[in-house]
Amino acid sequence: MERNQIVEKVLEKYPARVYKNRKAHMLVKENTGENQKIQANTRTVPGIITNRGCCYAGCKGVVLGPLKDMVHIVHGPIGCAYYTWGTRRNKAKQVGDEKNFLNYCFSTDMQESDIVFGGEKKLKQAIQEAVEIFNPQAISISATCPVGLIGDDINAVAAEAEKLYGIKVMAFNCEGYKGVSQSAGHHIANNALMKHVIGMGQVQPAQYAVNILGEYNIGGDGWEISRVLEKIGYHIVTIMTGDGSYETLKNAHKADLNLVQCHRSINYIAEMIEEKYGTPWLKVNFLGLSSTIETLRDMAKYFDDPALTRRTEEVIAEEMVELEGVMRYYKEKLEGRTAFLFVGGSRAHHYQVLLKDLGVETVMAGYEFAHRDDYEGREVIPDIKVDADSKNIEELKVEKDEKNYRVHLSPEKYEQLKKEIPLSYYGGMIKEMRDNSILVDDLNHHETEAFVKILKPDMFFSGIKDKYVIQKMGVYSKQLHSYDYSGPYAAFKGALNFAKDLDMGVYTPGWKYVTAPWKTEPMLEGMLIGGEN
Amino acid sequence: MKNRNFVNLSVNPCKMCMPMGAALAFKGIENSMMLLHGSQGCSTYIRRHMATHFNEPVDIGSSSLTEQGTVYGGAENLKKAIKNVIKLYNPEVIGVATTCLAETIGEDIAHITDEFKAQEDLRHLPIIPVPTPGYGGTQFEGYYAVLRKAVQVLARDRAKHRKINVIASHLNPGDIRHIKGILDLFKIEYILLPDISRTLDGPYAEKYRRISAGGTTIEDIRCMAGAAATVEMGLTVDQKYSPGRYLEERFGVPLHQCAVPIGLANTDAFVNLISRVTGKLVPARLKERRGRYIDAMIDSHKHNGQGRAVIFGEPELVYGITDLCLENGVKPVVIATGAKNNRLKELLKAGLDNMEEKCVLLDDTDFETIQKYAKDLRANLLIGNSDGKWIEEKEGIPLVRIGFPVHDRIGAQRKVSTGYEGSMGFMDAITNTILENKEKAYRKTMYRKYYKGDKKTEKMTVKTTLKALNPVAGRKSNEEKTAAHPCYHPGAGECARMHLPVAPKCNISCNYCSRKYDCPNESRPGVTSEVLTPGQALEKYIEVKSKVEHLTVVGIAGPGDALADFENTRKTLALIRGEDPEVTFCLSTNGLMLPFYANDLIRAGVSHVTVTVNAIDTAIGAKIYKNVRYLGNRLEGEAAAKVLRDNQLAGLRYLSSAGVVCKVNIVMIQGVNDSHVPEVVKTVKKCGAFMTNIMGMIPAPGSVFEGLPAIGDKALHEMRKQCEKDIKQMYHCRQCRADAIGTLDNDRSGDFRNTGCHVAERVNDRQKPAKLSEREKACTGCAVNR
Repeated sequence: MERNQIVEKVLEKYPARVYKNRKAHMLVKENTGENQKIQANTRTVPGIITNRGCCYAGCKGVVLGPLKDMVHIVHGPIGCAYYTWGTRRNKAKQVGDEKNFLNYCFSTDMQESDIVFGGEKKLKQAIQEAVEIFNPQAISISATCPVGLIGDDINAVAAEAEKLYGIKVMAFNCEGYKGVSQSAGHHIANNALMKHVIGMGQVQPAQYAVNILGEYNIGGDGWEISRVLEKIGYHIVTIMTGDGSYETLKNAHKADLNLVQCHRSINYIAEMIEEKYGTPWLKVNFLGLSSTIETLRDMAKYFDDPALTRRTEEVIAEEMVELEGVMRYYKEKLEGRTAFLFVGGSRAHHYQVLLKDLGVETVMAGYEFAHRDDYEGREVIPDIKVDADSKNIEELKVEKDEKNYRVHLSPEKYEQLKKEIPLSYYGGMIKEMRDNSILVDDLNHHETEAFVKILKPDMFFSGIKDKYVIQKMGVYSKQLHSYDYSGPYAAFKGALNFAKDLDMGVYTPGWKYVTAPWKTEPMLEGMLIGGEN
Repeated sequence: MKNRNFVNLSVNPCKMCMPMGAALAFKGIENSMMLLHGSQGCSTYIRRHMATHFNEPVDIGSSSLTEQGTVYGGAENLKKAIKNVIKLYNPEVIGVATTCLAETIGEDIAHITDEFKAQEDLRHLPIIPVPTPGYGGTQFEGYYAVLRKAVQVLARDRAKHRKINVIASHLNPGDIRHIKGILDLFKIEYILLPDISRTLDGPYAEKYRRISAGGTTIEDIRCMAGAAATVEMGLTVDQKYSPGRYLEERFGVPLHQCAVPIGLANTDAFVNLISRVTGKLVPARLKERRGRYIDAMIDSHKHNGQGRAVIFGEPELVYGITDLCLENGVKPVVIATGAKNNRLKELLKAGLDNMEEKCVLLDDTDFETIQKYAKDLRANLLIGNSDGKWIEEKEGIPLVRIGFPVHDRIGAQRKVSTGYEGSMGFMDAITNTILENKEKAYRKTMYRKYYKGDKKTEKMTVKTTLKALNPVAGRKSNEEKTAAHPCYHPGAGECARMHLPVAPKCNISCNYCSRKYDCPNESRPGVTSEVLTPGQALEKYIEVKSKVEHLTVVGIAGPGDALADFENTRKTLALIRGEDPEVTFCLSTNGLMLPFYANDLIRAGVSHVTVTVNAIDTAIGAKIYKNVRYLGNRLEGEAAAKVLRDNQLAGLRYLSSAGVVCKVNIVMIQGVNDSHVPEVVKTVKKCGAFMTNIMGMIPAPGSVFEGLPAIGDKALHEMRKQCEKDIKQMYHCRQCRADAIGTLDNDRSGDFRNTGCHVAERVNDRQKPAKLSEREKACTGCAVNR
């Protein structure tokens, strides 16, 4: 079947309007030289069994949650706080007398009477209790659905508490219904961290200072990346936000370069820091050996220091000596297999490199909550229509901070470098995919099932919600949100972990007792030709 | 008792929201699909949590409300969602539950779904609308709310039949399968609602089904109105959520409520109930299982008695587990649920009231609070869902996982804890956890206790016993500590000590002690204020420590008896130890309760104990002690003196053999025990005393002995000289107060009078500083003759 026919086949079950809607979210990669457009970041079709989460999930769950030295109070009924309690595997360690509240879950546990009479009083008292007992340097207040509707002014409460206790108290209006997915929450969190935290610190970092943006330290990824960078001689000011902290985030504007790992969740801050403080950002990818090496070389080009460049090559060589043989072994075992990737807003792209390193071809990929620029590249940003849902999320405007603004590159050098490395630019996923591969935005359960049946992948990378659907269909499934309790998968050592886990998954003896559906359920075409099964 | 550490802040919740319970219940209805009306995060979070527990696909639709929907109403979104779910899943029944968002904007889902059915001409399609605001309760209430509504919507067929309805509480698919097995043994026909035995734990099938197979059929639910009876698991359920109650009130189906069949009594009750309502005899196979379980209960009792359990989770499950623990001698020290539930409290009251040690019962609580009690009450077992893992991690108390969710272990969905067999397996898990924990340490403990240091004798040695019982002790040896104790070592005069008046109660009445100026344990204004709570004592200690140089010793010397009020003493010591691992703990007591608390004292790190022994001869003792209050009895005369003496000496022997430095105080009373003192000294020496302190009685006004003459310094000195041949004597005693602070020669307690008490003062305005002098007198009168 032609790939376009496959897409039609998957869509045919939908009612007319849903058909039209979903069709715009799919495309087959063609090498026409022209930009292919895909619809993204629009409202989810109700009842479609999406894998997307809500605004609160993106704000509190993803961006704020990992900041370990803050008390994150969820203002609302109990569920929302409970469901983000220790569920994302964003690891953190306590260094020295640093505070770490990561294992805690704080909620105002609103009751019916609070919904009727308002919950501000309860919130104020909850803050007081948190200050008295936990004594944090900073507190976040995240709003859940009812808060905005009943008119609790969490911003006023935060301002009052900040004065009263002399610590930073920030309010996040991230009610679940805002925007169309967790993406809105990322933006809201970015805005407030930029407004209230970044720039507050005055600690002057050492040479080659970088921030890692959009790295959430799932399964320890951030630690492996830091290990490599520090080995080369980089100084990491802060990580946003995996194993990150309020205290280090304050000095983020002091770095010489921002490394952007997850473009979707954190590009707002990268852009704003560049505007306000002059720090350029570099799109990086530490997932996959080839991409890690490329990223390290890009960074060396940016700093343009022969000693640093030499050290970069030394470290790459050292790390690769240990890996090459064993990675070749795994590649031989895995080569020729096909994969589906459906993750978040950046991993579905990043992991393609790691899979390619292992000889696995990605035949279908999609993001859960990405925007068009994550698929098509930042050049489409001016063309993206601002709809009603995005309009509701504040576009924070920052101005040049004359005192702290630094020019890191001459305009000529900047332009020159832009031609060589992804400096303040992200090219998106489509460009790097092979012809004829399929892209699907906001994949749902029906489509998952239909595509699996037709394309028969050897493995499927997504999350826990679709994992068991895929496994029930006899296909190996791996979670790339929580890494199935494994990791790290980033940089050098992580790549080996990933190869081992993949090998284990593919060669699990249990698969021998399981029959994939297409082996017993004839495909329409096959039946016509073969006549019988 | 506070059910939360914090009033307004829930820290580490012990509950989920109502929509979660709704999802769990809908999963037990055949060919059903469920939709949550609200923002899509709710379905996503709930699916994530369920999939992790059950390891199965969990498809829940969402109306994916956006800001527009919250402003203009969400009816259109909900209708679209239902339509798409029908198209993609073709369900036989649709459940629609609400969320915080839908309820806050006031969505009338019953109306919207009716309208939808009319518009789409789908009148035959059953839709079950259930309001489940996240702030309206927990998953426990949400679960039953759906069952009741399902019955209300579907159970219409009144035609009588022989089947019985069985309403299942929220249990694992494995449990539901087991319970069905029990019902099948009876060879009866029944309708089980809900039935998640296959839907949430399906076998691998060659053909993948979007809606998993299994569940209670719609046809069966329709017929529930005509059933012979309803057996409903759910003693703690509010009747407004009870489906059985509805069937009884609306259709006259007799309702029998019972607990979840966990534990012997609860399973008996369930089995007998089924037998009674169906008129069938209890099958032989069940009787055999019952017998085997009882046999197992007896076999493992020797380990279970050591269990001190914290039980938490949904009310119904907590009730079952508590019963199982009580039946097996595992002592529940904390029972907790995040739901607000008075029924659970009432149900458990009878069983718990009989317990010697009171159990803490909490509802509407959080894990932060549970953790605090678990620690304070020295629990050695946690029983509940995997959210207890944080306490397990922090406090090192092992967790036996049961209930929902279990996210950090595999196979929770197929576990069986119900019926005789399931209870047996669950009991074994508890016992084995106790054993495993014991096995981890006991070789080391035994080795340290009996072999290490002195291989020739098996006698316990000083340090090894101390270390075995109290790992904190031994950083400094007791000899070193004695050298820096101003009372035990005359050369330690520059060292300071403080006494903390935290123990107001006394359990004996001495004739040299005045009732009028008795220990201030009466609730008179102005005197109780000076007794410190353990928290205040800690505060005072920190204050004094910062201001008094060379503070080496903290003592508890009443004002009553340190062991008559042991909880306060223990807490005080624990708090101070937490703050200062080095300070020497010293304690004085009349010795009556020593055999009971000696181990606790050692564990708390007490290295120096003073016991006041005035007589060995019970006839002489009878003259000194008016009465002794012991284990609920008031003893007088020689009986009183005997009990007191025996306990004093047994305690002394035990403590000194364990390496605690023991001093014996003897109050020398003219004409009563003055000639008896040398015998007392000889006896206590045999019992291992380190030194004695012979003091002359001061006739306290108002006491029985107020008319007796005081012992002269010369006579006292001679007596000490004489006894010095037998044992080291104390010559430098200053007969200090229960709240003394400083060196022996310089009492600075006046400087710290209000420290540690300001909290009490704020609360109670009645106390006036003017009363202090009277209290001072009282205290002197009491302490001098101790």
